[in-house]
Amino acid sequence: MSTLGTLAFDEYGRPFIIIKDQDKKSRLTGLEALKSHIMAAKAVATTLRTSLGPNGLDKIMVDKDGEVTVTNDGATILSMMDVDHQIAKLMVELSKSQDDEIGDGTTGVVVLAGALLEQAEQLLDRGIHPIRVADGYDQAARIAIEQLDKISDSFLVDPNNIEPLVQTAMTTLGSKVINRCHRQMAEIAVNAILTVADMERKDVDFELIKMEGKVGGKLEDTQLIKGVIVDKEFSHPQMPKADALLYFAVLIILYLQVLKDTKMAILTCPFEPPKPKTKHKLDVTSVEDYKALQKYEKEKFQEMIQQVKETGANLVICQWGFDDEANHLLLQSELPAVRWVGGPEIELIAIATGGRIVPRFCELTTEKLGTAGLVKEICFGTTKDRMLVIEECKNSRAVTIFIRGGNKMIIEEAKRSLHDALCVIRNLVRDNRIVYGGGASEISCALAVNKAADKCPSLEQYAMRAFADALEVIPMALAENSGMNPIQTMTEVRARQLKESNPALGIDCLHLSTNDMKQQHVIETLIGKKQQISLATQVVKMILKIDDIRSPGESED
Amino acid sequence: MMPTPVIVLKEGTDTSQGVPQLVSNINACQVIAEAVRTTLGPRGMDKLIVDNRGKATISNDGATILKLLDVVHPAAKTLVEIARSQDAEVGDGTTSVTLLAAEFLKQLKSYVEEGLHAQTIIRAFRTATQLAVKKIKDIAVTIKKDDREEQRKLLEKCAATALNSKLIAGQKEFFSNMVVDAVMMLDELLPLKMIGMKKVQGGALEDSQLVAGVAFKKTFSYAGFEMQPKRYENPKIALLNIELELKAEKDNAEVRVNNIQDYQAIVDAEWNILYDKLEKIYKSGAKVVLSKLPIGDVATQYFADRDLFCAGRVQEEDLKRTMMACGGSIQTSVGSLTDDVLGQCELFEEVQVGGERYNFFKGCPKAKTCTIILRGGAEQFMEETERSLHDAIMIVRRTIKNDSIVAGGGSIEMELSKYLRDYSRTIPGKQQLLIGAYAKALEVIPRQLCDNAGFDATNILNKLRAKHAQGGMWYGVDVNNEDIADNFKACVWEPAIVRIHALTAASEAACLILSVDETIKNPRSTTDGPPGPAGRGRGRPHGHPH
Ligand SMILES: Nc1ncnc2c1ncn2[C@@H]1O[C@H](COP(=O)(O)OP(=O)(O)OP(=O)(O)O)[C@@H](O)[C@H]1O
Ligand SMILES: Nc1ncnc2c1ncn2[C@@H]1O[C@H](COP(=O)(O)OP(=O)(O)OP(=O)(O)O)[C@@H](O)[C@H]1O
Ligand SMILES: [Mg+2]
Ligand SMILES: [Mg+2]
Repeated sequence: MSTLGTLAFDEYGRPFIIIKDQDKKSRLTGLEALKSHIMAAKAVATTLRTSLGPNGLDKIMVDKDGEVTVTNDGATILSMMDVDHQIAKLMVELSKSQDDEIGDGTTGVVVLAGALLEQAEQLLDRGIHPIRVADGYDQAARIAIEQLDKISDSFLVDPNNIEPLVQTAMTTLGSKVINRCHRQMAEIAVNAILTVADMERKDVDFELIKMEGKVGGKLEDTQLIKGVIVDKEFSHPQMPKADALLYFAVLIILYLQVLKDTKMAILTCPFEPPKPKTKHKLDVTSVEDYKALQKYEKEKFQEMIQQVKETGANLVICQWGFDDEANHLLLQSELPAVRWVGGPEIELIAIATGGRIVPRFCELTTEKLGTAGLVKEICFGTTKDRMLVIEECKNSRAVTIFIRGGNKMIIEEAKRSLHDALCVIRNLVRDNRIVYGGGASEISCALAVNKAADKCPSLEQYAMRAFADALEVIPMALAENSGMNPIQTMTEVRARQLKESNPALGIDCLHLSTNDMKQQHVIETLIGKKQQISLATQVVKMILKIDDIRSPGESED
Repeated sequence: MMPTPVIVLKEGTDTSQGVPQLVSNINACQVIAEAVRTTLGPRGMDKLIVDNRGKATISNDGATILKLLDVVHPAAKTLVEIARSQDAEVGDGTTSVTLLAAEFLKQLKSYVEEGLHAQTIIRAFRTATQLAVKKIKDIAVTIKKDDREEQRKLLEKCAATALNSKLIAGQKEFFSNMVVDAVMMLDELLPLKMIGMKKVQGGALEDSQLVAGVAFKKTFSYAGFEMQPKRYENPKIALLNIELELKAEKDNAEVRVNNIQDYQAIVDAEWNILYDKLEKIYKSGAKVVLSKLPIGDVATQYFADRDLFCAGRVQEEDLKRTMMACGGSIQTSVGSLTDDVLGQCELFEEVQVGGERYNFFKGCPKAKTCTIILRGGAEQFMEETERSLHDAIMIVRRTIKNDSIVAGGGSIEMELSKYLRDYSRTIPGKQQLLIGAYAKALEVIPRQLCDNAGFDATNILNKLRAKHAQGGMWYGVDVNNEDIADNFKACVWEPAIVRIHALTAASEAACLILSVDETIKNPRSTTDGPPGPAGRGRGRPHGHPH
């Protein structure tokens, strides 16, 4: 062991301290450290292995506050696991980066990285330098990615024939809790993307898709709304008694809860007398003053309402609140209003209805109003919950997916699963090349890498073969999770791929008695798969290069 | 508690003098070298260091590692200093310089223990360094500058050598190409600041891109932003340092409102201040408005309404680089937004990069700047990539200015070692021994390269000594085949300046440490000092560890 971590003594026997808390921790360096890092990373991968694929199991996570999450999404599982080993954290980040860009494949990427490390460990035992292993992996990854390009099929993204897209979305959703209404969810995801997609620029702006969930109802009630949903209702205040009659009159209009041909004013200014930002002081000393104040406020309201009405608006969307007094005046003027609508929703409404966000009453003009064919309030079962739906908008590119479900857990998982599906469809819009799932593409890459390894004269060939073996872990895990004998199943499929040279042969997880993933429509995007391989390789290389961790904490492993 | 590894003197040892002090300083420096030893060369490993706030850094860069170790020992700090200065001056070779300095000291330890006077040692070392530097200059190879092709090849080779030991070594061709392109876009002064480096998590390393112009991440935006156009051709760009938000008329004043109607007046005044500014900006013809200070929701919506694009809270360096690239100047008032203070570019566009949205300014008329957008799987990965590219960029800049090169992989060190050893035989006495020690210390570089690669260092060094004695000047370690090879032919090229600087700095540091034989320290307070002697000795036999 090096001088590090020991006490050093000078000529006179006076110790000088090198590492402060050396008594507490035993430090590992060099190869031993590397192996302990690999262990930690593998532990993370092992937890995820059983979640992979259509028969993968879900995990129930309970956080510190007792909040329960049920999920199958790799990135979510890892982000909720309380990981504190530095190397394990890198694995968590790995799945996060896959999630950020691709959205799907977050389990697979970690399983692959774990397999690569497991293989690396054996190579290290055989005395191969970690960096040579890393180099070999690098070469192998390059070959695998080339192979993916070769075997990729192009996929027709056609807004008029959404069936293939739906099939793809179904593959992604297949492994999730919500696969009960599999097809419906897939259609929703596809329609949402096609609505907001800019097919010319091949761009999809996710900001235009909102997901809103409400507990209650069934998952089957989930729907896509081509418009905006706001978790707010028309304001129905407690009214003073004297106005009860009028109130009812207005309620009759509102209880139809449908406004047709709405022109809405979208306001970011409050319905209240203007307040300066300058510090100010107003002394109310007499009764007159107070009365004057009240009168002023009332006049102001009336003026505001007048301004709104003059533009022809018949609905007010307001970022801020207004008090009951103002509300009463609004009702009197038959101007329904929605208050406390958040900034992002305001923006979405403006985009959808083609309106402009107006910061001051005096700037309101007819041109700045947004238009929607239909604004309705929907209420849920026996609860008093209501939401506002704005539909038939001028610009129908903003959409909302409205998710229903028996409890919060289901809704949250549905959101995550839909997110995966949305990402996959978006990726297809951006780049329409695909490869086949069910481990088919991995097997094909493994074959290619092995072939290249045979031609490689240097030491890196061992690492390349190891890489190929690691790729085969994906189909093996899929088979294992489906209750098949992993090695046997994988070997058979591999043999068939070789014989029939058909890179679409994979694991028949659903026991449909065909291994052809093309027939089963188990499709994955090329960029997603490529990303998995390159990200996993990157992180594995990084881990293989670390021979020492110094952290302030006590234990390191 | 100061949790990071630190080196402090034992409490109560407030003064210490003479030889023991020197020896203790030398030992402390060995510890520092130990911390970076395994990172040297193409088979060097990385260190993961976690700081007090829990932030993890993975690095191969000597200077970065030493900085993070938080060294407090005064003599050991000298090594940290030289690594930092090497980093600032030439950018690469920070591990080498640390190892060299520590090795010099190690070789000198026995002489110090004998009581040889420091000045004698220093004199010998200065001579040796001068000779070595002269020798490097003599044998360094200069490549013709006027031959563009040749120069470019040279630059790429040098950048690649600098990247060899880094995490991104597998992609070194890709990155050395990019780095050379980037540096070539700068003006003659090659200002480092003008290369922006941005990181977007996700993607393969090869998805990294070089943008001829400026790019920065979408800033925080308010409602209304999504309605603004995201693409302009030939837009004028207003660069501001103005807050565009509704604000109090005067900052600290408080107004007394006597009459409620006055309310309106004050409010109107406030709005007018803002609207006045906004209108002037709009009238100036600018299409893209950037401000270092926040642009609030009212302003955002005002611009959206008039089809302008705006971004507030733009980082100062981004704003400055936009200015350098697009022309114009940063305004602190809207008083004179004339055409000459507005910037311009061929294309402004908001583009999705990975999971993030980026503002791109392309086709800039004054484009003496560029931006590298890095992609990679983990935060730490990209940070290390950034540091590695920094090394490579520095090397390329150096090589453009000074195009003489030597071969790396320990070959230059072996050649110098041989030369100095030969020289030392011609002089008598202590000086001979000392220069011999210097020569021996130089071998630390090839030795460590071998150790890190898992080779039998003794064997390789013997081969190298033999080869250099026969005139194989550029023979060094071949890390791929556990052998020696002509590293000049193998294109392991480094700018001569890196080696010159490293040698000079390392020998100066060694001399400095030797010339200080007394340290006076205030006893540290008990909270951050080590525990007292009673808890420390632990009944171990006192003596020298090695
Ligand atoms: N019907 C199917 N038959 C065979 N394999 C399938 C089928 N559906 C999905 N797969 C495979 O299952 C794997 C995906 O599993 P899963 O969705 O659990 O994980 P992931 O996509 O890696 O991560 P996550 O979805 O958690 O982000 C892919 O390899 C895919 O090819
Ligand atoms: N292909 C190669 N074969 C042999 N030696 C090489 C090769 N590439 C680089 N080297 C050597 O590796 C050493 C550089 O290692 P490294 O980059 O780790 O440290 P450094 O440059 O001293 O410091 P740092 O980069 O941390 O600032 C140099 O001596 C260089 O000659
Ligand atoms: Mg999935
Ligand atoms: Mg270097």
